[in-house]
Amino acid sequence: MTTGDPKESSTGPSEVDVVSSIPDVRIGVFPCKCGKNIGAVVDINDVAEYAKTLPGVVHVQVNTYTCADPGQREIQEAIAKYGLNRVVVASCSPTMHEDTFRKTVKAAGLNPYLCIMANIREHVSWVHQHDPEAATQKAKDLVAMSVAKAATLEAQPELDVPVTQAALIVGAGVAGMQAALDLAEAGFKVHLVEKQPTIGGIMALLDKVFPQNDCSICILGPKMVDVAKHPNINLITMAEVDSVSGYVGNFEVRVKQRARYVDIDACTSCGDCVEVCPVDVPSRTDQSLTWQKAIQIPFPQAVPSSYFIDPDACLGMDLIRCGKCIDRCEQEAIVPSDKEKYIDLDAGVIILATGFKPASPSKIPRLGWGRYPNVITTLEFERLINAAGPTEGSLVRPSDLQKPKSVAIAQCVGSRNINTRSGCSNFCCAESVKCALLIKEHYPDTEVSIFYQDLRMHGKYFEDQYQKAREEGVKFIRGRVGEIQQYPKTKSLRVSVEDTTHNQLIMEEFDMVILSMGAEGIAGNFPLPISCTSDSFYIESHPKLRPVDTSSAGVFICGGAESPKDIRDSVIQASAAAGRAAIILQKGRYPIEALSARIKQDLCSRCGTCASRCPYGAITQDGTGKYTVMGALCQACGTCAGDCPQDAIYMPNFTTEQIETQIKIALQENPGNKVVAFACAFCSYRGSDLAGVSRMQHPPNARIIRAMCSGRYATRFAQKAFELGAGAVLYSGCHLPADCHFQTGNHWMAKREPRIRGWMKRNEIDDERFRVEWVSAGEGKKWQTIMTEMAEVVKKPRKPLAKPKPKKPAATNKSTKEKASAKHKSKTQAKPKAKPKKKPSDTKKGAAKKKTAKKK
Amino acid sequence: MAKEIPKTRLDELKETARPCFQCGICSSSCPVFRVAPELNPRLSVDSIITKGVVPREGNEWLCAYCLMCDQRCPMGVSLAEILMEIKNISAREGKAPPDVIESAETLAEDGCLSPISSRSEKKRVELGLPDLPKADPKDVEKLFIATGAAEVLAVNKAAQEAAEE
Repeated sequence: MTTGDPKESSTGPSEVDVVSSIPDVRIGVFPCKCGKNIGAVVDINDVAEYAKTLPGVVHVQVNTYTCADPGQREIQEAIAKYGLNRVVVASCSPTMHEDTFRKTVKAAGLNPYLCIMANIREHVSWVHQHDPEAATQKAKDLVAMSVAKAATLEAQPELDVPVTQAALIVGAGVAGMQAALDLAEAGFKVHLVEKQPTIGGIMALLDKVFPQNDCSICILGPKMVDVAKHPNINLITMAEVDSVSGYVGNFEVRVKQRARYVDIDACTSCGDCVEVCPVDVPSRTDQSLTWQKAIQIPFPQAVPSSYFIDPDACLGMDLIRCGKCIDRCEQEAIVPSDKEKYIDLDAGVIILATGFKPASPSKIPRLGWGRYPNVITTLEFERLINAAGPTEGSLVRPSDLQKPKSVAIAQCVGSRNINTRSGCSNFCCAESVKCALLIKEHYPDTEVSIFYQDLRMHGKYFEDQYQKAREEGVKFIRGRVGEIQQYPKTKSLRVSVEDTTHNQLIMEEFDMVILSMGAEGIAGNFPLPISCTSDSFYIESHPKLRPVDTSSAGVFICGGAESPKDIRDSVIQASAAAGRAAIILQKGRYPIEALSARIKQDLCSRCGTCASRCPYGAITQDGTGKYTVMGALCQACGTCAGDCPQDAIYMPNFTTEQIETQIKIALQENPGNKVVAFACAFCSYRGSDLAGVSRMQHPPNARIIRAMCSGRYATRFAQKAFELGAGAVLYSGCHLPADCHFQTGNHWMAKREPRIRGWMKRNEIDDERFRVEWVSAGEGKKWQTIMTEMAEVVKKPRKPLAKPKPKKPAATNKSTKEKASAKHKSKTQAKPKAKPKKKPSDTKKGAAKKKTAKKK
Repeated sequence: MAKEIPKTRLDELKETARPCFQCGICSSSCPVFRVAPELNPRLSVDSIITKGVVPREGNEWLCAYCLMCDQRCPMGVSLAEILMEIKNISAREGKAPPDVIESAETLAEDGCLSPISSRSEKKRVELGLPDLPKADPKDVEKLFIATGAAEVLAVNKAAQEAAEE
């Protein structure tokens, strides 16, 4: 990657600075009564008194409504008066008001990341209404956990990056063209890259398009010309994206353009060259139903309106081998010396409109396509019925060029089949009905039968088409075609199909069979890690709420590349993608996730586990084997840190030290009675909040620790909790397989479960004391059930952890590791600014000492 | 008298049949369905999926086990296996058709279904080939007991006798 990381410069050299730059920790705690919501259950004054005793706390102020204007003002005044550099608000859930209080402290000049919340409403007062004493104790614990975390919070620069105000659009079918025109009209520069020699995609090959059955090229042609003529569009045909580096706002793109051998500007597309070209090759445009020359233009309306030479077919562009076209061309437009070239582009956003490929019937031998000339695909039919096609619009049987008297249309070919593609193509029903109507329009006497499985005429005006087809006498028979056989003499076809409405076998003779083809995905070879479905279509960020975004910020998808769809849907999606892209381009700057993983190079063993965990491709290895995190790509899920065997990844504000300190404080009293519950910010924590909002009462044993993603929950956290005597541990994340906000964090967490269970078995901890659960934001009830069940588990007394066996090499490893991290800390402590870290690291050292003593 | 169908077996059958979406490719590919329309593999599977019962008509005994349906099923359903399992289950219930029972009896008694003809014995001598081993009913009996076929046969014979009375 050539592009510099914007975070790199702000964080300085690669050595990780693990402490805040503020010399003294001065924490202000603001317990909130939330009217009676908290105050009626939790003794808030008791909590406040307790908070005063906590290390680092210099100011405590109780308020009735901290989130109201006066409450916020008090925080700001206290920051000024007492010189607070950390703020803990003990009130509602951070999902509710973290943003509010971050803005509050920001206005008072404090970095917003130095403000943290203790959730004593959703997690305490609303769910333990009948046990004020336990609720108050839990509130105290939660405040203490937050205060301890606050002490080590790190200020994060709020970063944004400049945005190159240009878009790269890959693929110039109808979707890519629409997106390009939308963005170009909005005033942005657009680089439109197309693989083929002309734009237009599959739509340019069609005759009529449903549901109105208007002429395809008549509506597409003008749009193609608009694209070519638009001053903001830089059209690059016969080209593919070779490499992409950078990140949202600043993509550096290298495009590889194949040689065309014809000068686009000089060529007048007169066609003289074609007359002399001696080479015949099957026509790509006409689906190999006819021939074309080695020098060719895909179709008369092609854009750019220029011929090109197929180098594989051409005999040679010199006078010895052939060179006839060069001789003939009066414009001297033919350039034999043309070579493939690379074009470098800068773009702020990327839209992928790479489309799909019509499914191939050659994979389905029972239907006889390829062996029987009169079995054709829908795309071949489009060319036959097209006035610009090989037969100038007359539908004939390829075997004898006679008009067919009876035509069968078989649906779902290449779709709804686990061997080709299991999904529905979304367009083959409407396509079949359109074909039937076109046949009836041109040749009313022709009998047309459509064999369907489920007729899915779901679109606007589609039902009218279906009605019309029935009025025209098209037969609809439910049943998928089993096999097609050919009568050798007449080349007519016998179609075997079961009429599943009447449980009857139909073996009928037809002059011609049209296979209504589905779509095949071709996504996945773009040089950026955009995830794809198993059938090679791009996966959207969220199927309902972010349908054109991808997992990579600044990269959007539309048209057939996302899923098989018809023209109307492609255009809708293209405009949506252009709109989403314009938001980024318009602003000129793009905010990036401030929290991003950093690798402690001195601890890193260069195993590469982190790089394989990162769903965003943010971790890369340089030539020397060193791994680094590309901050602008990192979304801070922490899955890399969760699996790092050396614990060498530093997750700001979710560090191992911080989480372990939280565990320790949660278990400081009566640990056997406690459930240490880990919840991910996007699903499980919100699920626990919902339990609170719905007042689903449950026992107060849990101490919830929030992380960005379940991928962050390292194996060691559960071990640490059990070592400290925890009664039970819960790892909770978004539902498998696909709900994870960070794509794969929950999968990696699930893979740690057997390791933890193995460790538990060796240490004689009952299996039931550890649970992995998937709780969505809507499953408050499930959270309540889990909490209630786990409270039962912790009622049973737990055996203390068996003494670690000295022979275990893992144990010694651990102690050396701890020594190493202690060394790391002491190194940073040598600096004057290292002071705030002192307390937790001291206690940590104490714990380490204790452990070594235990081992002895 | 008829043994209760082990529930898990029917459940397994339902599991195998579940992906079927009744497109009719199996039936239109079935060579038996063309001449004997009472065997419709699609409807046999449908009975498992929608009614959750093994079809009572016994048409599955017509299946020639050519595997064309297996080969072509777009959902990867193993229809031939389903038909075979339906036959197994109904045989355990004593519902095998008389000709199948008769064949099984012959096999149990003679040790083989098609005896070696004197013509082929002669031919073998002419060609200098060794004698074919004689089928030993005792061996077959062992197999019948080991596989549970003896039990199934007994159930069916009893059912047949009961029907005659």
